[in-house]
Amino acid sequence: MRAREAIETVANHRGDAIAVCALGMAANEWWAVTKSEETFYMHGAMGFAASFALGLALSLPETSIWLINADGSLCMNLGCLLTEASQAPKNLKHFVVDNQVYQTVGALPMVNQGRTDYAAIARGAGIERARTIETLDALETAMPGIVAEDGPSFTLLRVLPETGFLRTPPMTYEGPEMKYRFGRALEKRFGITVFGPQGY
Amino acid sequence: MTFEEKGIAQAMDVTEKIHEQLKKSRVTLAASLPDDWIAPLINRIAADNTMRHVRVAREAEAIAICSGAFFGGVRSAALIGATGLLTCTGELATLNLRHQIPVFLIVSQRGSIDDHRIYQEVQGRCTIPLLQAYDFPYHIVNKPDEISSIPDAYEASRLQKRPFVLFLTRKLVKGDEA
Repeated sequence: MRAREAIETVANHRGDAIAVCALGMAANEWWAVTKSEETFYMHGAMGFAASFALGLALSLPETSIWLINADGSLCMNLGCLLTEASQAPKNLKHFVVDNQVYQTVGALPMVNQGRTDYAAIARGAGIERARTIETLDALETAMPGIVAEDGPSFTLLRVLPETGFLRTPPMTYEGPEMKYRFGRALEKRFGITVFGPQGY
Repeated sequence: MTFEEKGIAQAMDVTEKIHEQLKKSRVTLAASLPDDWIAPLINRIAADNTMRHVRVAREAEAIAICSGAFFGGVRSAALIGATGLLTCTGELATLNLRHQIPVFLIVSQRGSIDDHRIYQEVQGRCTIPLLQAYDFPYHIVNKPDEISSIPDAYEASRLQKRPFVLFLTRKLVKGDEA
């Protein structure tokens, strides 16, 4: 399956989940498909969308938080799986788009390309509900179960690499604007206070 | 009371006071990776069931967890050592500076002139110049009666919309006699 198809299928099942996207391909494709403002799109800190999503999940325990991660980002912070497992947030679902290349910079091969079993690593960390999905049909079939199960869960989406650069443009909000749009969206939806009375 | 016992007594008192001031600052989530100077504080927070404690595998995880918690309306703190602070300056820049997300870090100020550990000397020389280069504000707590400044420091971190480092000195956490 292609990355766009996998992201579309996951997005179609997201319901009212809040999403956090790793920078690059995952964020750009999620934005292209959803135009969602109830999503945080990382601009940097490669690898740490996972930790950001965990902090959000622990802070909003009644809200479904979906992490749209990518293989390059996961490899930058494999320790996130230990922290996720230890905290065991029922409301966190971790998806990884695995194209086995660093797509955003021109499809250079991933470290240990073709050999790594990320779902096995997640299970080894203590995340019991971990699987690899390789076809669109299998993803369509699996999604209702993934939506219904308790977190933490780990779903690796094996997708085809694109040739060269993937030119899906990133979302158009600058860093601080995204902060305020995302924070205000959460304040409005959940009645929480993210920003103080003076707006900071 | 021996010098060592006096040092331990002061450390316990200081730990209790910092914990108290964090609660006064309405911090309800703490993410940590231990340095031996802040280990007693981490243990105390871990035992507090009103505060969510997250043990992490790398300091940048603590930074990103606190950043995510910010958007959930939860006030948080990252507890790490000076060496750990050096490891996560890239994430502090590209996540917190990039998006103007405040994060409050409590950091042991290793490598000070009274910290006679060879493996801490670079941290002692480089940490503050590095923070200045990034324009990350910081505040040093050196005496027990300065611990009450924590709520103001916490508010400053929110107002500055960037990483804010609260340093704990050796004199504070170990006492004069240690």
